[in-house]
Amino acid sequence: MIPAGLSLEQAPPFGVPLRFFLTAPWFLVLAALLILWQGPGIFASRWSPATLALTHLLTLGFMAQVMIGALLQMLPVVVGVVVPRPRLTAALIHIPLTLGTLALSAGLWVGLPPVFRLATWLLGLAFGVALTAIHIALWRAPVASGTVVTLRCALTGLLATVGLGLWLSGFFGWGWRLPVLAVANLHAGWGLLGWTVLLVAGVAYQVVPMFQITPPYPPRFVGAFALLVSGLLVAWSLLLAGGWETAARLAASGLAVATASFAGITLYLLAQRRRKIGDASLNYWRLSLISLLAAAGLWLWAQASPARAQAPQIELALGILMIAGFALGVINGMMYKIVPFLAWFHLQAQLFGRIKVPNMKQLLPDAAIRRQWWAYLAALLLLLAAVLYPSLFSVPAALALGVTGAWLGFNLTQVGLAYRRLSRAAEPAPDPSSAGV
Amino acid sequence: MSAPADIVVDGRGLEPPEPMELVLAALEHLQPGQRVRFLIHRQPYPLYDLLRRHRYRYETTTLASGEFEIVISGP
Repeated sequence: MIPAGLSLEQAPPFGVPLRFFLTAPWFLVLAALLILWQGPGIFASRWSPATLALTHLLTLGFMAQVMIGALLQMLPVVVGVVVPRPRLTAALIHIPLTLGTLALSAGLWVGLPPVFRLATWLLGLAFGVALTAIHIALWRAPVASGTVVTLRCALTGLLATVGLGLWLSGFFGWGWRLPVLAVANLHAGWGLLGWTVLLVAGVAYQVVPMFQITPPYPPRFVGAFALLVSGLLVAWSLLLAGGWETAARLAASGLAVATASFAGITLYLLAQRRRKIGDASLNYWRLSLISLLAAAGLWLWAQASPARAQAPQIELALGILMIAGFALGVINGMMYKIVPFLAWFHLQAQLFGRIKVPNMKQLLPDAAIRRQWWAYLAALLLLLAAVLYPSLFSVPAALALGVTGAWLGFNLTQVGLAYRRLSRAAEPAPDPSSAGV
Repeated sequence: MSAPADIVVDGRGLEPPEPMELVLAALEHLQPGQRVRFLIHRQPYPLYDLLRRHRYRYETTTLASGEFEIVISGP
């Protein structure tokens, strides 16, 4: 039977997810440096080369990095299926993903086809390994629970995003002729909704009730949400490809309403939490969901007229709300739960009864999280302000983004170092779990 | 001679992993023959992993409220 909760018996070594989590924050710092270097012009249009580079530093360098690392950790625990050769698989994803993100951003920024081709091969390898390993695990899952169905839909969303991205790289790297704007819009839609929103939903069904002590999500919502979003995305894509613009806008409106319903239900559940004292990760969840709600509202409003939908400021604001608000916020908040928890749990498994293991709050004090939270909040608000007044706000926005990224990296590295110190202290005695193996 | 009274640990409504921290602290003070009675609002799967690993015996009962009672005794 698959438990409704999490089982850590099958968890991979801590180093498997940790390498992704410790790399990701530094891509926020790189993104900040790019904004500083480029100046206010980066906020002129989502299509300018530096802006495309910035987008991929955030989506691949930060988001995909953490999301894939977390999936490698979660799949064995939630679904009960082991990812084969976890350390090797993680390395074969992590290294080309990191290098490929750097190459892609450089290629988009300076427009050099050979750099693009290198990025295509590296990212193709990283996502090829990730999709194969994760798909094998997910389709082997013995029970199709709501979370499993949602994760399968999210993985299909990632497959579509990567496929469309590789197709686009044909244009940039090899000079293929293709309808770039339409394909790029589909690439962004599948990446942000079909992959990111659905993955966050699948994870939220587990971690919101567990860590925030809320009632569970309504089962009918869990059963329907991922299938509805995936179905609407397919319809939206086909209608756009067929040139039925009005009908495509209708499908897009449906996507906005569905996404808003996930944000609304989760905010409602958080309001029902049993424990009334808030913590910093709750702030992250709330701000992330409010950003998602605002993005859905803005998208819905933009569907009313094509002029609105293509206005550069609206497109940029949507991107910032979805990427810097929704995705960065929820990922940042969840890492603060996941990383100390895994460190604590792995230490407890190794050291119980021999050395006193520090608790989660000692591994990562609330005060450290709270200070980084204020930098994150400032970064989000300044980025949104920079859409309207780029010359005034682009430098402060970049500085705040760099500070919050470096601070997150520092906080997580402290946990990693404490883990290494304590687990080394315990090395002389054998781990009881490996006895007789 | 009768066994010492059970140690009761109430982890209901606490944020993970506080309930598990409380249980593990209680287990460290367990006297021979003594048991820990642990009340919790959801199935503590990670705790089961640790208990099995360190060869504790445990028995889980679902309470009428939907919460769980786990009785743990020494290895």
